[in-house]
Amino acid sequence: MSDLNKNLKVWDLPTRVFHWSLVILVAVGLITGFISPESWMGIHVWAGYGTVLLVIFRLVWGIFGSEFSRIETFSFTIKQLIAHINELIFLRPLHYIGHNPAGAMMIFALIFFLFGISTSGLLVLGGEENQGPLAGAVNFQVGDMASEVHTTLVFILMALICFHITGVIIEIYLTGENLVKSMIDGYKVIPKGKTAPEIRPSRPIAAASFLLAFAILSGSVLWAFSTMPPSGIIQMAANSDYATECGDCHEVYHPSLLPLVSWAKLMGDLEDHFGEDASLDQDVTNNISEHLNVYAAEAWDTEASNRFSKVSSDAPYQISATAYWQRKHTDIDPEVFKRNGIGGKGHCVSCHSDAATGHFDDQNIKIPES
Amino acid sequence: MKTLNKTNVITAVVLLIGGLSPNLASANSARDTIISGFSSVAELPVSAERGKALFESSPAAGKPDTPSCTTCHGASPMTSGMTRAGKPIEPMAVSVTAERFTDLKKVQKWFRRNCKSVLGRECTAQEKGDFLTFMSSR
Repeated sequence: MSDLNKNLKVWDLPTRVFHWSLVILVAVGLITGFISPESWMGIHVWAGYGTVLLVIFRLVWGIFGSEFSRIETFSFTIKQLIAHINELIFLRPLHYIGHNPAGAMMIFALIFFLFGISTSGLLVLGGEENQGPLAGAVNFQVGDMASEVHTTLVFILMALICFHITGVIIEIYLTGENLVKSMIDGYKVIPKGKTAPEIRPSRPIAAASFLLAFAILSGSVLWAFSTMPPSGIIQMAANSDYATECGDCHEVYHPSLLPLVSWAKLMGDLEDHFGEDASLDQDVTNNISEHLNVYAAEAWDTEASNRFSKVSSDAPYQISATAYWQRKHTDIDPEVFKRNGIGGKGHCVSCHSDAATGHFDDQNIKIPES
Repeated sequence: MKTLNKTNVITAVVLLIGGLSPNLASANSARDTIISGFSSVAELPVSAERGKALFESSPAAGKPDTPSCTTCHGASPMTSGMTRAGKPIEPMAVSVTAERFTDLKKVQKWFRRNCKSVLGRECTAQEKGDFLTFMSSR
């Protein structure tokens, strides 16, 4: 410590732990969202739950934390923000002990977008995947729209992260102060002539009580939602003709995987069924048709029932000919389908262990190695 | 092995035969009824030889993906086959799959469909009788 400068503990431990935990969770969220196979979706979801907890913690700590963690200490006016940007343009930023106005704006933006990403993610999970606390409250259509919002917000978030890192690098360059180190050990250098303000300590008990109350309240609300049965999943009566006649030659496909018109056409075309004569006695045909009429895609609101309803006009009852099926399997080498443990594109259950239920959860995908 | 005295062995054998034979007997008689149903309207006496030839032939007169019986059933009646969609098919030889050809409805259904797929037409009673006689002899 020199005579002129002195070190001051600026970032308290919870704020620093928050920052780096968030870095890890956002990284996990991005990797599991964009790069890793879909079967890792469970980790993605947990990264999302973790992120929302961190964001809520940070807001509470913004009230009850120590001096420089408090939101009021980095709430600047527009005028101050413009002044700061001017200083940056002329490469002579003033020194701020806590967050500077640009950094503060970044914090607010990041928290806003992270909250939006977590919320839209929860809607996608409940609407498209029929999982999580909102599985019963949100239908597929809402989940599908939320999915687009989710992706858009994530792209904005990635841009913000780039700005954030660039901003930190610029500030380090202009002020000579190692901000990254400060966020690790908590200390910042106070320049000469600047007096440290009075530092108000954190109020951990108040923060913990507030968080506990919030957790109980939001937990109860989500729990209440989660007691609703998943939307768009109905009870299906067993049909032994459907199970045995179709199942003699191939996997018993869930009736929700094709719309009414496709099933009707398939049942009318049984004499030429994927290259074989699969005709049945009239009473058996009628019984199976009746089953399909009741339980075709229109009766469900799952991701599979919605996606596969958009059938190929060339092959209206071939599930693997739908644009969605092809898009989802485009990264899979054609050789993979020839593996003994798979046995062709029509053998969903080889990789989707829950295929018979029509759910096709991302977490239940496992491609056999041989 | 001393505990295995004669009486026990005889009892076990009697129980075993007693337990199995009614099933086997009824399976055999159900199958015999089906075969004689075909042979009674066939021109010639049924022949395992002709059945074998039919099974091993490759007429390729039906649907392009199924040129012969062996496409799906495998080269030998003693071994398992596989449907084009990847489901295993139990061996057709009666010595391996005892309950084969004991349900007339099933027999008619599969002859109708598979003959059309492989031969492009329904099989005659003669062909069906020959085929089942061959499978029963294996």
